[in-house]
Amino acid sequence: MNLAVDLAPHHKQQLQLRNPVMTGSGTFSNGIELAKHFEIDALGAVVSKGTTLRTRRGNSTPRTIETPSGMINAIGFQNIGVGALMRNIAPTWARWNVPAIVNVMGESVEEYGILAKRLDGVDGVSAIELNVSCPNVDVGGLEFGQDPKTAAEVVSEAIRNTSLPLLVKLTPSITDIRPVVEAVTNAGAHAITVANTIPALAIDIEKRQAEIANGFGGLSGPAIRPITLRLVWQAASVTSLPIVASGGIANGKDAIEFLMAGATAVQVGTANFLDPRAPWRVLEELTDWCKTHEIQDVREIIGVAHHVD
Amino acid sequence: MERFTSSVTDSSLLYGNTHILWLDQPQVLNNCRPGEFLMTYIGDGHDPLLGRALSIHRLREGINGPEFGLLFDVVGRGTHWLAQRNIGDQISFVGPLGHGFEVRPRVNQMLLVGGGIGCAPLIWLAEELIADDRNVTLVLGGRSKEQIFPSQLLPPEIEIVVTTEDGSLGEKGLVTGPFKRLLPWSDQVFACGPDPMFEALYQVTKQAGSGKSLQGLLEGRMACGFGICYSCAVFPKKGGVRLICTDGPQFDLKEIYS
Repeated sequence: MNLAVDLAPHHKQQLQLRNPVMTGSGTFSNGIELAKHFEIDALGAVVSKGTTLRTRRGNSTPRTIETPSGMINAIGFQNIGVGALMRNIAPTWARWNVPAIVNVMGESVEEYGILAKRLDGVDGVSAIELNVSCPNVDVGGLEFGQDPKTAAEVVSEAIRNTSLPLLVKLTPSITDIRPVVEAVTNAGAHAITVANTIPALAIDIEKRQAEIANGFGGLSGPAIRPITLRLVWQAASVTSLPIVASGGIANGKDAIEFLMAGATAVQVGTANFLDPRAPWRVLEELTDWCKTHEIQDVREIIGVAHHVD
Repeated sequence: MERFTSSVTDSSLLYGNTHILWLDQPQVLNNCRPGEFLMTYIGDGHDPLLGRALSIHRLREGINGPEFGLLFDVVGRGTHWLAQRNIGDQISFVGPLGHGFEVRPRVNQMLLVGGGIGCAPLIWLAEELIADDRNVTLVLGGRSKEQIFPSQLLPPEIEIVVTTEDGSLGEKGLVTGPFKRLLPWSDQVFACGPDPMFEALYQVTKQAGSGKSLQGLLEGRMACGFGICYSCAVFPKKGGVRLICTDGPQFDLKEIYS
């Protein structure tokens, strides 16, 4: 049975994944911790913590709150910065056989270009995921992804500065995701990640204030899965680029749903917090399902649900 | 790091609103140390979603083999669910996690300070120190006597000092009173409780001009417990950011507050 998928068929180096199960940015740190406990090379790809040009301490605490079948977070991009990532983390990635994708967030269109340039040709870095959808920063993030023109500018700026395959991670916080999908497709992105967390709020009624210090945060977990699934479906209907699904995937059945909606790969995110082995378990369950259903090639099921559109 | 499942062997409301669960101890906990914690998962679905970080309270030899204990205040959905478990019920965990207390060799006078449910990991530490022939003074503080761990359940070798804010048991006031008196006597200090207690202990140490290390077991809101969610940040006064789950939960309070 073939589980391999290509996330960048239009890129000269391609981005071959051994299977469609990836980790989601911000839910796996930089992979180093869990690679000590589980076989990292068994996964399709690993996506880094959101990385910025300069190191960031992140937001004040509390940064998270549990909600029904989900959680809201506003971590605020606590990260070591791109330089330290290249110096301290990338050499470890270079020893792995699993592709490592660096999720980057800029405060301006130009910063995405600088980040792309810094990562170009770095041993251990297989691709870049442009985060134009983080709800938890004052400058940039989400607003870049809500405007098709700006999102396309971010992609163009990154392409000018790197030869690496580029994924673009879009926001679900938008009236219609399709114009943004079309814009980043036309700008030359190689794959599209759908989607990020959904802007949300929880209030502590005894303290009469927001549960998290930042006020708003991003909702993730099984609670958002049906919303993400629809967005993946919509995105798949307007682009031929591979779509990477991200939002509430916790088991093999969820992964198959997303593949059937048109995703080429899936990112396991919040599920990692309640089971550090979640990505590996999702892969096992996906593989078992394919075996039981006599699937020869996992690509057979990508987008199959669309015939009832 | 894999999730493991244990069977409940005993469950009871131990005092006030504080519940104790005993569970079969799996091999993965054989080498765990006081101050380490477990992510404890509530139910088997996705609501509630996240694990609860609970210190390992104690180990004991049960009728059918070794057991570990969890001591917790029944305050929210997760702890209510835990308190309702019956003997034979299964609960799943990840752990042991974090860095526990570090006991120096060849020191004798051990001062332990617990605020409220912060006594949970200190009781095990106290037992271990007694077994290692050290002198232990355990200061237990609470709002009232309902929050104080019953002294008759502790080894008689431990000297116990109780403070309550309402004066219903022991000295009226906060743990900082006896702490100030006992600090000069102590060789090493271990604390667990709410953040304001930690800051108060640090201030007492500073005012006393004491160079003693002050090991505190910090608590913070965690989603994962093993270093990937970045929820449980703590910001040392001198700068930077640490994660309670993987850099701690045991910190030298001087590193945090000075």
